[in-house]
Amino acid sequence: MNFIKTLIQNLVSGPSTVSYPFGPAWTPDNFRGRIDFKLASCTACRACEQVCAPGAIRFDKTPEGLRFMMWHNTCVFCGLCEHYCPTDAIRQTTDWHMAHPVKDEFGMAIRETIVYVNCTGCNAKTLSSAPNPVGVEPPFTPEEIEQQRNLCPACRKKALAERGAVS
Amino acid sequence: MSLKQFISDQSRRMAARSPWIYRINAGSCNGCDVECATTALIPRYDVERLGCQYCGSPRHADIVLVTGPLTARVKDSVLRVFDEVPDPKVTVAVGVCPISGGIFRDGYAVLAPLSKYIPVDVNVPGCAPRPQAIIEGIAQAIEIWRQRL
Ligand code: SF4
Ligand code: SF4
Ligand code: SF4
Repeated sequence: MNFIKTLIQNLVSGPSTVSYPFGPAWTPDNFRGRIDFKLASCTACRACEQVCAPGAIRFDKTPEGLRFMMWHNTCVFCGLCEHYCPTDAIRQTTDWHMAHPVKDEFGMAIRETIVYVNCTGCNAKTLSSAPNPVGVEPPFTPEEIEQQRNLCPACRKKALAERGAVS
Repeated sequence: MSLKQFISDQSRRMAARSPWIYRINAGSCNGCDVECATTALIPRYDVERLGCQYCGSPRHADIVLVTGPLTARVKDSVLRVFDEVPDPKVTVAVGVCPISGGIFRDGYAVLAPLSKYIPVDVNVPGCAPRPQAIIEGIAQAIEIWRQRL
């Protein structure tokens, strides 16, 4: 008689088929999907490039600065870049709507440049990357991050020492 | 309108509603194949709602799903089977392997990207792509196929 119970249950609960593509599809909150890159938080440490097994991330030196490139069509969604990024500049979103006609293939990439600036302390050419927050106590305030962004590595160290932080 | 013309028009109209799908494994790790099978066989995803059906012979196929990075070992077989699929056909690269090589990129035994050997129409990146993403890719492929027909 068990089958009658199942039958009634099925009649009440309706078909189990998800309605996608005719309706929305459920996505788990921790789904590992499309990579998102936040240029403002990137420290240019290149850890993500180092750990990316398929080589989906590449940094190139250009006359303007350090160019970050990431190809969605090479990424295997392992999440290592997010794991190793000290500032969450690179993250995985839950977006999985990535199927595309081949003509859009070359648009499936992130291209951003961390530009060169002149250090406000010593005027040397330096990358305007975000400071690395690892081990900095007390943590950087947003103003400090902006200030550090315009300093060269030596001047950053000096500024850190002056505020009494060891990094 | 002649009878021949009528039949040809009608069959074209009907065929446009029900493309048949064929799956080629070009050296995949099986991850994408499992997802492709899931897409078709499990009632939860049920790709046949789109009017398409998996078929067992390349000669019946309209849409070809290719998984895997095209290993040197299977290249000739893949190209031979692909040639048996009648035109017009639409090729869908499922997973990042056929698109770029994915985790096997630049390996000595893989010839990815697939598009160097076969004209690809739709890419479905993922490793492996979830069934809904494959359905999304197939839906795009059906659109392209209707234009070609
Ligand atoms: S800060 Fe994050 S995104 Fe920037 S280079 Fe380092 S790991 Fe990559
Ligand atoms: S998720 Fe993995 S494969 Fe994708 S960019 Fe990050 S490290 Fe590379
Ligand atoms: S894309 Fe990933 S899951 Fe699919 S065949 Fe390649 S390695 Fe396997």
